[in-house]
Amino acid sequence: MDFNENLPIYMQIMNLIKRRIVSGNLKEGEKLPSVRELSIDLKVNPNTIQRSYQELERENLVFTQRGMGTFVTEDKAVIKGLKQNMASNIVKSFILDMKSLGFDSKEIVDLITEKAKEEI
Amino acid sequence: MGKYIKYEIKGSYKVILGILAIVLIASTVIQVNVRTGGFDGSRFPLVAFLFSLTIFGTFLTAFLFIVGSFRKELYEDRGYLTFTLPLTGNQIVGGKLIVAIMWFIVLGFVTLLYNIFLAKILFDIYLPFKEMFDVFNTFSKEAITFIITAFIGGVITLILIYFSMALSRVSIRNKKIGGLWFIIFLILNALVAYFNVKINGLIPYYLNLNTLEITHLKGLEYLPNITMNMNGASITMGTGEGAFIGIAGMIYNLVVGIVAFLGTGYIIENKIDL
Amino acid sequence: MRNIVEIKGLSKSYFNKKALNNLALNIEEGKVVGILGPNGSGKTTLIKILTGILRETKGEVLIDGHEPGVYTKSIVSYLPDRNFLYNWMTIQDALSFYKDFYKDFNEKRAYELLDFMKLKRDMKVTSLSKGMTEKLNLTLVLSRNAKLYILDEPIAGVDPVARDQILDAIINNYNENSSMIITTHLVRDMENIFDDVVFLREGEVYLTGNAETLREEKGMQIDELYKEIFGE
Repeated sequence: MDFNENLPIYMQIMNLIKRRIVSGNLKEGEKLPSVRELSIDLKVNPNTIQRSYQELERENLVFTQRGMGTFVTEDKAVIKGLKQNMASNIVKSFILDMKSLGFDSKEIVDLITEKAKEEI
Repeated sequence: MGKYIKYEIKGSYKVILGILAIVLIASTVIQVNVRTGGFDGSRFPLVAFLFSLTIFGTFLTAFLFIVGSFRKELYEDRGYLTFTLPLTGNQIVGGKLIVAIMWFIVLGFVTLLYNIFLAKILFDIYLPFKEMFDVFNTFSKEAITFIITAFIGGVITLILIYFSMALSRVSIRNKKIGGLWFIIFLILNALVAYFNVKINGLIPYYLNLNTLEITHLKGLEYLPNITMNMNGASITMGTGEGAFIGIAGMIYNLVVGIVAFLGTGYIIENKIDL
Repeated sequence: MRNIVEIKGLSKSYFNKKALNNLALNIEEGKVVGILGPNGSGKTTLIKILTGILRETKGEVLIDGHEPGVYTKSIVSYLPDRNFLYNWMTIQDALSFYKDFYKDFNEKRAYELLDFMKLKRDMKVTSLSKGMTEKLNLTLVLSRNAKLYILDEPIAGVDPVARDQILDAIINNYNENSSMIITTHLVRDMENIFDDVVFLREGEVYLTGNAETLREEKGMQIDELYKEIFGE
């Protein structure tokens, strides 16, 4: 995997895992890959992976069971909250982007409605 | 160091065996030619002459191969392996030296013995083994002295060669000058011999190996002596009165050998920039 | 945390040219440290001093509390950026050689790594391609349980498949009790495996720090930072 954003690697890995959780790739209560596995998989220093897991734990998205590994939270509300949060971030940055191109709020909504119809 | 010697042998034995094969084949050709072409020497065949040259050339190649193996460590990438081993500089130089001496002895003895036995078969000569040993018995101390002095002289020469190579490696940074070591060696060797003569002249005491008496040179002047100067170690033999070794010269030579050896180890450990 | 390497006031001069100038650097146990800098920045000189094949002009170098010498050579596993194995060797010979000279050599791991690298024991070292040579050398170096690994340009000039295998082997070998010093000019390919990075410029430490902290502070990846510092 390539890490290109101007963010520390551990944050990019957190985002990666968050996406997997929100999209259902990683189900609630599911075991995350071990630090070493993910480290080899992504070719990233194990300490960095460790830090991602710690930060995710701090955000209550995962929990560690001693000797067992790290698991996705079983709290659906937390996952739902994360999903809302990520969606709202995407929308926010989208709106900012559109406004910088000179669209106003109504135009943006219209455009989205139109495009959403086409997609279906 | 034993392990280092093991891998030195592993790395060189094929070449040495090849050289031995060439020498033995050439020896056989020579002897067979002499046998068929005449033994009195009046019709010494050209082929034999050419093959003698071959043997000389092969021995020269062997010599350069054996001493050159040290030079390779100094100039080639393999040095990155050798000089990062957990060994001291002295252990590396010592290992190289022992293997070199071993190969010289193997090459010399095998060639000599093979030729003696081949001659015995081809010419059905009566080999005067018994007489030869008698000679050894008569002059046993002298013969042994001769062999030992020659051996020490050879080893010291080898050490001086290694020392010259190490010196030439660090003298001019990152410049490989072919043959520079040889010039350094010639100069060093000349200096060593010069001071040896001086020292023997200054302290002219000789050790009689038969009686272990120490005699001043003046006490030996009556002898019809043949004085040999084996790389400085003066010995006097063939007198029937025993063998005499120049004490000061001998000690001096040993010191030179030890200093050059330690110097080489020091350069390897502290001065080399691969 | 304990320092495996401690360098103070290290200078190395060649005649009037200074290759290293009063360099100070500590390397902690368990860290993977990238030493970055263009040619002539002093990387090679520093590594040669650490591996004991070059002496400093001034300053102090301690590895596990010892000056470079026989002891440090026994605990440092060094991957030079060249074909350092003897020409007469087969891969098996090279393995036996390492086993004989280094007490910390783990033969079992060496065979596993050889399999992983798809190398056969009876191959002659002179018959190997650039990528295979690099993989063999790394196999030997990583099969030691060394306290300090020094890898000089481990992925230079190898194809992408070999590069991935080499990176996998390095990460797989990571453990908290040993440290690694890696030099590279392929910063993009290797930066994710570094804990700390050291930027060397003209024989001095220009910038050093935790790689993640630097990314956060500078808002860019180490590769971009490298380009900014050294200008491409």
